[in-house]
Amino acid sequence: MLELWSSGPVALMLNTLIALSSYLFGSFGLTIIVLTIIIRGAMYPLTVKQLRATRAMQALQPKIAELQKKYAKDKQRLAQEQMKLYKESGVSPAGCAVPMIIQMPIWIALYQSIIRVLAVTPEALLGLSRYLWSWPVVYFMLPLDSHFLWFDLAATSNMPLAILVGATMWLTQKMVTPTTTDPQQRSQSQLMLWMMPLMFGFIAMMVPNGLALYWAVSNVISIVIQYFVLGGWGGLARAGAGKYVVPSSKDVKVRVAEAETATSISAMEADIVDTGSTEEEESGYGGAGDKRQLGGGGYPASLRAFKSRSRRSKGHRPKRR
Amino acid sequence: MWIKHNRRLLAKVLLLLVILVIGGVTVSGCYGRSQPKGWSGAIIADDTLFVGSIDGSLVALNKSDGNILWTSESEIESEMVIYGTPVVAGDLVYAGGYNGRVYAVTSSTGALRWVYPREGNLEPIVGGVVVSQGMVYFGCSDGKVYALNAITGDRVWQSFETGDKIWSTPVIDGETIYISSFDNKLYALDANTGSEKWVFDEAGGAIAATPLVYNNTVYIGSFDRYLYAVDTTSGSLRWRSEVEADKWFWAKPVVYNNVIYAPNLDGRVYILDANSGREVASAVELDSPISSDAVVVDGKVIIASQEGKIYSLDTSNNQVGLLRNVGDDGQEIYAPLCASDGAVYIHAQSSNQDTLYALNAQTGLEVWRPVSLSSK
Repeated sequence: MLELWSSGPVALMLNTLIALSSYLFGSFGLTIIVLTIIIRGAMYPLTVKQLRATRAMQALQPKIAELQKKYAKDKQRLAQEQMKLYKESGVSPAGCAVPMIIQMPIWIALYQSIIRVLAVTPEALLGLSRYLWSWPVVYFMLPLDSHFLWFDLAATSNMPLAILVGATMWLTQKMVTPTTTDPQQRSQSQLMLWMMPLMFGFIAMMVPNGLALYWAVSNVISIVIQYFVLGGWGGLARAGAGKYVVPSSKDVKVRVAEAETATSISAMEADIVDTGSTEEEESGYGGAGDKRQLGGGGYPASLRAFKSRSRRSKGHRPKRR
Repeated sequence: MWIKHNRRLLAKVLLLLVILVIGGVTVSGCYGRSQPKGWSGAIIADDTLFVGSIDGSLVALNKSDGNILWTSESEIESEMVIYGTPVVAGDLVYAGGYNGRVYAVTSSTGALRWVYPREGNLEPIVGGVVVSQGMVYFGCSDGKVYALNAITGDRVWQSFETGDKIWSTPVIDGETIYISSFDNKLYALDANTGSEKWVFDEAGGAIAATPLVYNNTVYIGSFDRYLYAVDTTSGSLRWRSEVEADKWFWAKPVVYNNVIYAPNLDGRVYILDANSGREVASAVELDSPISSDAVVVDGKVIIASQEGKIYSLDTSNNQVGLLRNVGDDGQEIYAPLCASDGAVYIHAQSSNQDTLYALNAQTGLEVWRPVSLSSK
């Protein structure tokens, strides 16, 4: 199985990397950047789908939290109510995970191929020959020049690069992290916001710099995609200019009653407008991205209504004080 | 109380930690497979056999029974990794390390005599060293060729620089050093001064193989999958092999009766006429890539494949037979073979141990029981 994986997707990626480098002046650093951009571009539809699904799930979180609280002792009922909520709002929990799961093997193949092509040790270079295809260019190009800018892609422990990986990952996370008044949700968000960048920054110190470069480039691309899909800087804009507040459990008690009767997103919209403040206007969720959702954006009618109202409030309605 | 209120948070933290650990192990596992271990071959001087083990020690064994005489682990650095086969000259054994240092130890006890450089280290040394007329020569991953005084370890001439890494072992023939580089070139240098005599630059790929010098010709395989024959006097191309292999030439070719036997990473041994480069017989196909240098014993070419099979190729009819399969013991073979008095010595290795085999080159029977070299 492992051999099949290595001689299939990894070999494809690996030979493509080497062949591509022949068109990029033999620079492996440039090759990593270009191939990462190509692959991220090819997977753009999946990324957008995942981002939108994540956003829709975030919008439902207060209601889900309230349901969990209400039906804490009745798991079966809780599951039914959650399913009902998902169904009525047209949001699928799998919508977040499936695109990510589809992309995972591609990322794994890419980073494994980068490590193999770098061939840090004699054993690695010797082992690499097993996965080379009979393209003449592949044989002529190896071993690749591992120097790029000021660092060696095959070396490890490049502190500036590790910081770059951690910083870009923090920015990526921050853009999609909703602000909430619920202490528990806030703790979780903060944990994810700091844990992932720290972990990747730490691992970036241990793996070859080529892999760290790939992570940094991939993060920058994520930031760009998120900017356009979310219609702005998302959580970064909130951090700099006020807060969009996802209502806490206490704030949405009214919604629980609605969930029990006729759960509808339009009702939720009213609550959010009530509980939200003028800071809602500063939210990254109210920017250009909503224009797309007006046209459909893959959302059910209920969510589209919620988003279009939000947009209306931005420019044409006086702020509530 | 806090725990009670934050059970879900704690569960998520734990889940995240598990994912981190799995992710870390996956990443480090992929990377860890490429940790250097070395593949030193063995060499025989008088009745003693010297080899570098995968735990970074130089080991001396009694050639007649395989008993270990000494290991140098207490004398040289424990983190040393040895790829090149050690060399014996006079009462010293020389070895280059992946840690970028060259060591000279006494052949009788393994005591350290000198180390170069005395302070710090060079880039990794992957090829072996050669000793000739009181000088030690070696190539380094910094692309330079070094010449040291064999007695003192002092540098003799300013290092000669090639355009890329050097992973091959230099070959000395008379007053000339032949050495290949990843810059696709083969160099001929004056052994006394280090000045360039000529450079052969017609290969289309990097060269990691050690050259074979025979009958005023240098034979060298390249990553472009061709074998080249170069005139030792002028550095001009005599021929490029008629046949193109499927993969890189990594191992040094051997010659017998004016026929070149060139193992390749595609698992074949190409049989070429030394004068023309034409195939005199179809390539012999073995089971797996061949990266270890072959040897010729009594008209038979002994070849080891990476998966641990040792073959005997009869040069009279180009028939191949299996001598021994150390792959059954979980061992692989990357190190150059060594032959002496009708026996062949094979340094095989697995992920955490390495073993030295002594086999009769005709029958494949053990001359003595396999000896475990490393303590890892």
